[in-house]
Amino acid sequence: MAGKTRIKAKEKDGVVTVMALAKHPMHSSIEAKKLKVKQNFITHLTAQVDGKIVYEISSSQFFSKDPFLKFKYKGKKGDKITIKWVDILGGTNSSDGIAK
Amino acid sequence: MNRRNFIEIGLGVAAATVLPVSLSAVDFRKTKEKAWLEKDVSKAIEGLYGSSSTTQGKVKLKAPDIAENGAIVPITISSDLSATTVSLYQDSNPEAAVAVWTVPAGGVVDYSLRIKMQKTGTVTAVVESDGKLYTDKKLVKVTKGGCGG
Repeated sequence: MAGKTRIKAKEKDGVVTVMALAKHPMHSSIEAKKLKVKQNFITHLTAQVDGKIVYEISSSQFFSKDPFLKFKYKGKKGDKITIKWVDILGGTNSSDGIAK
Repeated sequence: MNRRNFIEIGLGVAAATVLPVSLSAVDFRKTKEKAWLEKDVSKAIEGLYGSSSTTQGKVKLKAPDIAENGAIVPITISSDLSATTVSLYQDSNPEAAVAVWTVPAGGVVDYSLRIKMQKTGTVTAVVESDGKLYTDKKLVKVTKGGCGG
């Protein structure tokens, strides 16, 4: 079902740009009815660096399949970014990435 | 849960305009459950912030004029304001709210994501800064619906 989150991060002038691609079907209620599967989508996603939250989003069913998120934060090269998410059925995932 | 935490959370829930900034990891789906079910954009904003009076400007919303595929509509929200929360709405899907970001202290507001849109509709971004709401809107024409419809 749900797989790893791919993380790409690059530092420039003290700001790290992170691109994350979470693998998740993101079935909305209409799609779920059509496919005869349970409605399932990520409800909460956070990105942490050294235990500090740098990005946080409460999401809905209207995200595209395999949601793509891009954001910036003030950081440095070599930062270990941990992205965690929870979906509505209780599924979780945690993936790591390093800022280049 | 100790007493201090309990009081902080209680205050945060009671006064929607005073968001508990000190508390990290706020899942708005749990704290503001009803706002996510609203069909109307202004009602969803009201449900989330307690007020729907917004000021146009200071927020930049980037979205395509025409989205060929409603399943992937790229959206970018950026602002120079020192924001506490950022939220995104549209009026083409069954429910209005799409996403709510909690901006950490000193965070950079420059968020991109891809959303689904069932039909042509207006995308609204709201940035909360200093208790005030700033907004930007854009009409996106969808030629092929992307909500499974």
